[in-house]
Amino acid sequence: MIIEVKNLKKTYLGRIPTNALKDVNLVVKKGEFVALMGRSGSGKSTLLHQLGLLDSPTSGEIIIEGQSIVLFSEKEKARFRLEKLGYVFQDYALLPELTALESVYLPLMLLGFNKGEYIAKATSILEKVGLGDRLHHLPKEMSGGEQQRVAIARALVNKPLILFADEPTANLDTESSVVILKLFRELNKKIGQTIIMVTHEPDDKKYVDRVIYLKDGIIQSK
Amino acid sequence: MNVKTAFFLAFNSIKRGNKGTLLMTILIMTLAYVNLVFVSSIFGGIVEAINQQAIDYQYANIVIEPSPDDRYIDNKAMGMIKSIPGVVGSSAHYIDKSVIEYDAFNDGKDIKRGQWALKSINPIDEKNVTKIHDAIIEGSYLEERDTNKILIGKEVSGGHGGNLEYLSLGVSVGDKINVTFANGIRRLYEVKGIFSTKSTAMDQTVFITEKEMESVLKVRNQASEILVKTQVVGGEDWYIEEIRSLGFKKEDIKKWSELMGFTSGASSSFDMISIILGVIGTVVAGITIFIIIFVSVVNKRKQIGILKAIGMTRGTIVLHFVIQALFYGLVGIIIGAATILFIIRPYFLSNPLDFPVGWVSLKVTFDVIKTSNLSLMAAALIGGFFPAYRGAKESILTSLWG
Repeated sequence: MIIEVKNLKKTYLGRIPTNALKDVNLVVKKGEFVALMGRSGSGKSTLLHQLGLLDSPTSGEIIIEGQSIVLFSEKEKARFRLEKLGYVFQDYALLPELTALESVYLPLMLLGFNKGEYIAKATSILEKVGLGDRLHHLPKEMSGGEQQRVAIARALVNKPLILFADEPTANLDTESSVVILKLFRELNKKIGQTIIMVTHEPDDKKYVDRVIYLKDGIIQSK
Repeated sequence: MNVKTAFFLAFNSIKRGNKGTLLMTILIMTLAYVNLVFVSSIFGGIVEAINQQAIDYQYANIVIEPSPDDRYIDNKAMGMIKSIPGVVGSSAHYIDKSVIEYDAFNDGKDIKRGQWALKSINPIDEKNVTKIHDAIIEGSYLEERDTNKILIGKEVSGGHGGNLEYLSLGVSVGDKINVTFANGIRRLYEVKGIFSTKSTAMDQTVFITEKEMESVLKVRNQASEILVKTQVVGGEDWYIEEIRSLGFKKEDIKKWSELMGFTSGASSSFDMISIILGVIGTVVAGITIFIIIFVSVVNKRKQIGILKAIGMTRGTIVLHFVIQALFYGLVGIIIGAATILFIIRPYFLSNPLDFPVGWVSLKVTFDVIKTSNLSLMAAALIGGFFPAYRGAKESILTSLWG
C-alpha cells in the first residue's frame, strides 16, 4: 500500500466549528487510480488536501510509503511535496509569467537539476502530453485543455509517487475533459502512476479503478 | 532556499509582468533616489558655501593670534611661514576698534556715527590670502602706499542692500569719513572702495593699509593676527605643527573651522536637517517599495499558493520578491544617479543659487552617493521583505483560494 489513513479528523474552527472529516480510515494501493466522490461539502476536497500535505489534519495519522507525514515540519512537508507528490488543480494553477516549458521545469530547478537536464525532461514530458508545439507559449496563449495538460506535465515531471487531482476537468469542455481523463488512465496503466482524483462527474467513474464516496465527512463506501 | 529559482522567477516576473507598473515603479524609485541625493547635496552645497565664505573672506585656513599675555605677534616670521610647502600666502592684520563718523554736509549737524571693526592689511599680501579684492562693488581696492584711504564693507557704507542698512553711514566712494581709533587718535579718510562678501559680519569691517595703521598705533612689524592660506582645505593640523616648529610656541593657532562660531552652528544645523530629510526620504522610499511589493503579493496570492504546493520553500518565495524590490531599487539608483550627475548637477554648476551665505551649487560627493545608494537598497530590502514574508507565511489553501 502507498497510503494509509487512520482515524483522520479535520475540524475547521470558527464561531461554529465544522467537522469536515470525521474519523476517516482508508488505504490506497500503489498504482491505483482512485476517485473521491460525493456531494458538495462532503469532505472530498478536504481529504485530498490532507493526503496531499496542503493542509494539516486536526487529528489522526497519514502514512505515505511508510512515513507518517502529519508531524513533518513545514520545510519537510515542502521537500516531500516537491520530491514525492504532484498536483493538478481545477483552475490549472499555472504562473501567468512562465511559458509551458518553464512551468514544467520549475520543480526540476527546485530539485537542483542542471539546465540541460531540466529542459530535456520538461520538453519530453510536454511532448508526451501532446504539447510539443506549445513549449514557449504563455498560459494566456493556450486553451483551457492545453493549460491543464501543462499542469499535468508539471505534476508528473518529478516522477511523483502520487498524483493528486482536484476536479481537473471541472473547467473544461467535454472533449477536453475526455482527453485529460484518458491521459490519466493511460499514465495509470502504462507507468503505474498512483492517482487520487476528486470529481463529481458520474461519467468519470469509468476511468478509475475505485470510487470512494464521502458524505458529511464520513466514507460511505470504498 | 533556492537562489537560482528565486532569480528565475523574479526575472520572468519583471520581464513578462505589466510594463506600465514596472515603469511607474522605476520612476518612483528614481525620484526617491534623486530626492535623497538632491537634498543632501543642496545642504552640502550650503554648508560648503558657508565654509568657503569664511575661508575666502574671514579666516583663510589658519589664524595665528598672540598668546593671552601679549598684545601683538612679531610678524617677521611671516617669510618663514610662506616657505612652508603648500602655503600660498600669509597676511598680517592689526585689529583696532573704531568709531566712524560721517558729516554729510560738513556743518556739524546730522552726523552719522557708528562703531565697526577696523583692520589693517598689506594689500599685496592680502590678495594671496583672502578674496576681499574680488568683492569690490564700488570704487577700488587699497594700494600699499595709500595712507588716507579706507576700504569699507557695504554694511558700513549703506546703499547696497545690506541687512543692517539702518545702521550704516550712507557714504559713497570719494566721501570723507572721520575715524577715531581706540588710542584716541582721529583721522580723516577718503572712501576708496566698498566691498560686499555676502557675510554680514565681514561687511561690517573697514580696512586701512598696514603702513597707515602702524603710524596710528606707533608700532612696527607686529600683528594682531596672521592669516595663513594653504593650497587645499583640510590638512590644516599638519600646517599648524609646521608653523609651531618655526618658533610660534606661545601663540594661539587655530584652523578656520575652530573659529566659525555661529556659522559653525549653522553648518551643523544644515547637516542635521540634511540627515533628517535623508532619513525621511529613505523611509518614504521604503514605504513606497513596501506598498508596491504588498500590492504585488496580494495580486499573486494564488501564485504563492501554487509555488508552495509544488514544494517551493517560504525562503525562496520571499527571496524572489526581495530580488524584484532590489532590482527596482538598483535601476532607480542607476537612472537617478545619471540624472543627478549628467543633468541636475551640471545645471546647478552653471546656474548656482543666490543664497545669503554665498552662491550655492550642489555638492555631490562620493559619500552622498554611497549613503544614498545604501539607503535606497536598504529601503528596497526591508520594503520588499516584510510584505513578501507576510504573503509567504499564509497557509497554502488560504493562498490558493486567493
